[in-house]
Amino acid sequence: MTWRETLRVSRVAFSELSLQAVFAFRQGNVLPAAWSKPLVERARGRVLQSKLVISIVLALLALGAGAIIHQRALNPEILPAVPNGLFDSAVLTGLLSLDIALLWWTGVQVIPTLISSGVLTVLEPLPIDSRTLHRVAGVLYLRLFDLPAATILVLTPVSVGLAMGVPAGLAALPGTFVAVTFALALSLLTGRFFLRRVQGSRGGGGRAVVRWAYLVLWLVPAFAMFAFITAAPAFFRALSDLATQGPSTAGNLLSAAFPFSFALLPAIASGGAASTAILSPTAELALGLALAAYIALAVWSVVWLAGSVRSLLFLPVQRSVDLAPSSAPLRSTGSARAVLTKDLRIASRTPGYAFLILLPILDAGALGLLTYATPAQNPIASSLALGAVTSAALLATFFGPAFFAIEVIAYSYGRSLPLSNRSVVLGKVALIAMMYLIGSALILGFTLLRFFDPLTFGAFILAELPAVIAAAFLELGLLFRWARRRGLAITNLYAGAWFAVLVAIPGLFVAGLPPLLFDLVQPSGLGLAILVMGAAAVAELAVATPVAFGRGAS
Amino acid sequence: MAATNPGNGGLPLSLDGLSVAYGERPAVQSLSLSVQPGEIYGLLGSNGAGKTSTIKAIVGLVRPVAGEIRVFGLDALRDSLSVKARIGYVPETSMLYEALTPREFLEFVSSVRRLDGTTATRRLSSYAEAFRLEPELDEPIATLSNGTRQKVLIIAALLHAPPLLVLDEPLNSLDPRSVRIMKEVLVRYVGGGGRGVLFSTHTMEVAEQLCHRVGILDRGVLRGEGTLAALRGRVAAGDASLEEIFLKLTEEEGGVRAAVDSIGDPSA
Repeated sequence: MTWRETLRVSRVAFSELSLQAVFAFRQGNVLPAAWSKPLVERARGRVLQSKLVISIVLALLALGAGAIIHQRALNPEILPAVPNGLFDSAVLTGLLSLDIALLWWTGVQVIPTLISSGVLTVLEPLPIDSRTLHRVAGVLYLRLFDLPAATILVLTPVSVGLAMGVPAGLAALPGTFVAVTFALALSLLTGRFFLRRVQGSRGGGGRAVVRWAYLVLWLVPAFAMFAFITAAPAFFRALSDLATQGPSTAGNLLSAAFPFSFALLPAIASGGAASTAILSPTAELALGLALAAYIALAVWSVVWLAGSVRSLLFLPVQRSVDLAPSSAPLRSTGSARAVLTKDLRIASRTPGYAFLILLPILDAGALGLLTYATPAQNPIASSLALGAVTSAALLATFFGPAFFAIEVIAYSYGRSLPLSNRSVVLGKVALIAMMYLIGSALILGFTLLRFFDPLTFGAFILAELPAVIAAAFLELGLLFRWARRRGLAITNLYAGAWFAVLVAIPGLFVAGLPPLLFDLVQPSGLGLAILVMGAAAVAELAVATPVAFGRGAS
Repeated sequence: MAATNPGNGGLPLSLDGLSVAYGERPAVQSLSLSVQPGEIYGLLGSNGAGKTSTIKAIVGLVRPVAGEIRVFGLDALRDSLSVKARIGYVPETSMLYEALTPREFLEFVSSVRRLDGTTATRRLSSYAEAFRLEPELDEPIATLSNGTRQKVLIIAALLHAPPLLVLDEPLNSLDPRSVRIMKEVLVRYVGGGGRGVLFSTHTMEVAEQLCHRVGILDRGVLRGEGTLAALRGRVAAGDASLEEIFLKLTEEEGGVRAAVDSIGDPSA
């Protein structure tokens, strides 16, 4: 089959992939009752929109990095202890790391969909030669990343070139290619791990640890930006120390580390002698060897990707065959608790769902750590801790609509059960409250380690709890009313259910109002501020409860 | 087998002027039929005839544009939860929570159906043994074959011993042994009286063996209904098979001949 025919087959397969990514019919989702546009066209449009959003973020990062480098060239008083070349290399290191993180994050999100869509299983029995099937699989895989990857490949060298000159822009090309290749390989590697160790895994102990470790790993790229912003000052301080002491072993190691080694190339190309301030002549040799090794690894990654994508799409989900079936009895619980238990069990094997639950908790953990690292005498520390609790509340409630969307997205069977909207809402609200309380408990733990004021923090957490529940009631109640009026279930957030996104706004307002009142009243006394905050939260709960359970909601 | 209380009297199922549409496209038009106590009613039809749309409307997955659905006298739109509690449903396609194991899925279903743990465990144990499902009860559903998924759905439909079973092509993907078991279970199920089964299929032999009455659906419209003998009388063919009756009523007999002729020699 010629490349032209291969691309034609790939186009058809990608349409099917888009359709399944957005409407999930293969997972049992019911055909929407009425659409203004054909479904495939709509699905392709949604996928393109998603890629555009990621590409715009990547473009802003690339142009932002160039702007920082340019500003520093104009104002040498910014971080004067760090030589120009080193500063530029540090900025480029951050950019390349973020590019990898965002591309990898895209990959880990869409690869499970690529696998479950089963697009290649339709083609495999047809008389299409093996080489073409490999090509189709490769094209499909590349199309998941095409626009974001092209943005990185084009805009990174262009931005560096504009800021540091054409030779520097050209010198940025190898690092950019290697970064994109590594991100694509990491995505495939984690996708394969998901199939082998997560999706079909069962049992506790080590297996449960591996399952949840993968789900946390899924979050790492999402945290990269936050981590970089947090770590940047310390990184520049370390660079300044290295520049002061001249060539050293630490400097040599840093130069050989990815992606700093590639980030040094534009600085060297633009003739910045200072870039080599931390390099000894032997380190230049080490840098050369490291670059050669990374390029070799990238080439090997391309070969590995070309051979592995097709097998990934056919890899059967692996079972834990060594475990005997249990004879555990069925434990019957109330409907709301059954919804909660089911959600947690699904989350333990579904990264997309676990992400929604773990993100607010990990965010709270990270902010708690930040509070712990801030000197206790600093008044910002306590504000930081209270802000962290607010952040946990806002993030926990922000995902309320997504929990509802997941309930109905692919699991139409659930709607054939005698499961009332009231039970679904209660189950979801219990999950949201649990996320908030676990996140807040983490922050409370860190603040207790740093400065002992459990009453204030405990009271703040409890005063905010009714507002979190009220926000969740409001969001889910409005969604059920909307679904009832339309006579159909919301399929998912990308399928045109903009209402699901819109209800998060009043939800955020409800969750955010009590902490805002606390902030306003705090100068008049801490106790009074917590009292006002708690009263406002309880009032919100009283107003929101009828929205969730009143007439027309269930 | 202790059944869920049907309550409220009335027929296990009655449809009156049911219409279902997807946008502008009608799928079912003014369908009226009933399932009597102790009856297995077969809903027959070609692909796209409206069988699955009818069933989805009964179990609450699709909202009808017109008509009435009553289950043991209860209005399926107004008392949807009470109606769903009285129905055991097997969907046409495997609609399952793939990340759960069968045991976790059935635990969720029995909790939602407010079945006590001891009864649910006892029933699961006997059904799992009959369908040889025990070795796979604790594997994630994502790893199971289509046939095994179908067994999970059948057990989920039977677990609460509902007074009405609504089965959409329930024998799809099952092995011959499980098909035989399922047929026996259905016959015994309605044997006690009071219960009813609505059974959709396009396999005529199965309908002939199992169903007390059949309804023939064609392009959303009911073309004929009754016992096999009554339908034979209607098409004036004393020893006609259900397949022949189906083709006559849907006016496809000539169409089939023309279609075969248009194909000609498949090897040519």
